Amino acid sequence: MIFKWFNERLEIDKFRAKFLSKTFPTHPTFLLGEMAFFSFVTLVVTGIFLGLLYEPSTKMVALFGAMVPASYASVVKIDLLPMGMIIRRIHHWSAMLMIAAVLAHLTRIYFTSAYRRPREINWFVGLGLWGITMLAAFTGYLLPYSQFSVTATSIAYFISKSVPWVGDWTSRLLFAGEFPSDATVPRFFFMHVMLVPVALLGLISLHMLILVKQKHTEPPSNRWLKESEGGRKLIGIPVWPEQTVVSMSFYLFLLFVVVLIATYIPLNPVETYGPPSPGTPVMRPDWYFLPIYGFLKLIPGDLSFSVPGGKITPETIGGVIFPGFLALVLALIPFLDRAKQDQHYMANPLRRPFMTSFGMAGIVFICMDAVSGYIDVLHIAPAKMAVYVVFATLAAWGVSFGLLRSYNRKRGSDVKT
Amino acid sequence: MVEEEKERPEEKTGISRRKFTLGVLVASVLGALGSVFTLLKVLSPGKKGGGYVTTIEPGDGLVYAKGSNAGASIQASSMKTGDAVLAYPAGKTSNPANLVQLIRIDEKDFKAPTDIALTDKGFVAYSAICTHLGCTVSWIRNDKALSASYTECFCHNSIFDPARGAKVMGGPAPIPLAQIGVKVKSNGTLVFTSGFKGPVGPQV
Ligand code: HEM
Ligand code: FES
Repeated sequence: MIFKWFNERLEIDKFRAKFLSKTFPTHPTFLLGEMAFFSFVTLVVTGIFLGLLYEPSTKMVALFGAMVPASYASVVKIDLLPMGMIIRRIHHWSAMLMIAAVLAHLTRIYFTSAYRRPREINWFVGLGLWGITMLAAFTGYLLPYSQFSVTATSIAYFISKSVPWVGDWTSRLLFAGEFPSDATVPRFFFMHVMLVPVALLGLISLHMLILVKQKHTEPPSNRWLKESEGGRKLIGIPVWPEQTVVSMSFYLFLLFVVVLIATYIPLNPVETYGPPSPGTPVMRPDWYFLPIYGFLKLIPGDLSFSVPGGKITPETIGGVIFPGFLALVLALIPFLDRAKQDQHYMANPLRRPFMTSFGMAGIVFICMDAVSGYIDVLHIAPAKMAVYVVFATLAAWGVSFGLLRSYNRKRGSDVKT
Repeated sequence: MVEEEKERPEEKTGISRRKFTLGVLVASVLGALGSVFTLLKVLSPGKKGGGYVTTIEPGDGLVYAKGSNAGASIQASSMKTGDAVLAYPAGKTSNPANLVQLIRIDEKDFKAPTDIALTDKGFVAYSAICTHLGCTVSWIRNDKALSASYTECFCHNSIFDPARGAKVMGGPAPIPLAQIGVKVKSNGTLVFTSGFKGPVGPQV
């Protein structure tokens, strides 16, 4: 009855025939992208709750007899509300999950060479999504305005300011003047709750539209199935109802895990960190910024070059050039590893010794940089650690390349990828 | 209708409709870009109050920067050799660039390039803002060998030797922490005797 009423007006039948019956190939790793998306949904829902209670201001107010910034006070008050603290923790844990999922998704695309023709555009959109997700986490981190978040943001401010030529201007644009100032929190708040989520939503939609248009790569096993049948249609399950049911159960499961973690594992306890005060505790950024943080520790302080109109300092090298270079390498990959024909199937990573070992080297390099963030507790001198980083990276590359080559020699090259 | 439009002689004005539309388009895009430029300028305000500009003047008294006695004058007698505290100039505690680390060192331990004239009875003060990326430095006291104590920034583990003019002994900091003169007054409190002898804050 109700369906009929809507159907007469919206032609849901047609929509179902055209879109909801689309085939969705299945593979467990295809859920990584969904994981990122579902974390985003959780972030939006919990973020709305937080946004309604949070006060984006650094005006000093009284809280339990002490004068603290209003933003800090409002977060402490959120924590005191029924369900307040758990919502905040779910928000922060989901942020971590979202970044982890984006990274895992990207890794999956890389190793199965799904970035190849015709999907290069979606690879770039994906890189953009990753960047904006990091921006979301970065702008959100300042909002509680605790000792930790202010110190972390201050470090980022000086990194962005250190860039020759444009740094001074872009840092003032991003932080609304010099940091710390009263203007930064309102600007970050608007970016965090408005610009960034809208940008994410827009890019996610574009990502999905392109996916629907180009269709998903298929697991290699589908090729044998089809070659025996002679067809070239996608093999998989329809979006409605099967894929929807799979996705919804997956989301509920994710939500369960996140709530469970958030219930038992505290995160960013602003009450313990306290409002901004002189003195910096031993602090490390959230894990997703650890590679940059660790890399900053490895660069000797006197490594700087003069360029016309400015100076390239270690901070610029570690905080801007290093991540920029990694992003550039990722962006160039579809151009470096090109295919003459369209790629319809997931490639087998074991069959691509060069690209796979290159990826392994990259992962080891990033992880070793993250470990460098701990040289103070590991008691390793920066120069020594730098040698370890280079050695481990080259070793990962050499060993995995050697192993894969001999594996492929033994198996012959009857399979094209 | 269609015929009417066709009749309108384009040659009369010497400019085709296509060209005219294009011209309008280019002009409006240029205009829009101009206003974007202005908007971006508005969105990135210049220096006003922010940044690391110190306001310490000779004669300012030293007060505790944190703890239960924050804001109270520091008594020289309360600090023994090997002690260090974070201090602000009295009445100027809201400017983070004014934060200094006051350390008491055995006078015999001072070595170049420490400016001995800026120290008094083993008291020496340096900017507490790390020259790397602006975290506040901490004092690592070595109880077994007091002269082996040092100043460390926990953010990226820069290490400074306060007995040697806060020279960088390790880590990514590019230059030493700036020294500033202090002396003990007859009433046992401390005052600044100079401004900073070097740049303060991150060297970016
Ligand atoms: C529409 C979407 C979102 C809204 C409305 C929103 C809103 C908020 C608000 C109001 C806060 C400050 C309160 C607090 O600190 O607990 C906050 C904090 C934060 N947000 Fe979001 N957010 C959104 C999406 C995201 C996304 C996509 C990420 C990262 C991937 C993210 C990461 C964070 C982080 C790391 C914090 C600090 C949390 C903490 O204090 O532990 N947020 N968010
Ligand atoms: S801010 Fe002090 S070492 Fe980086």
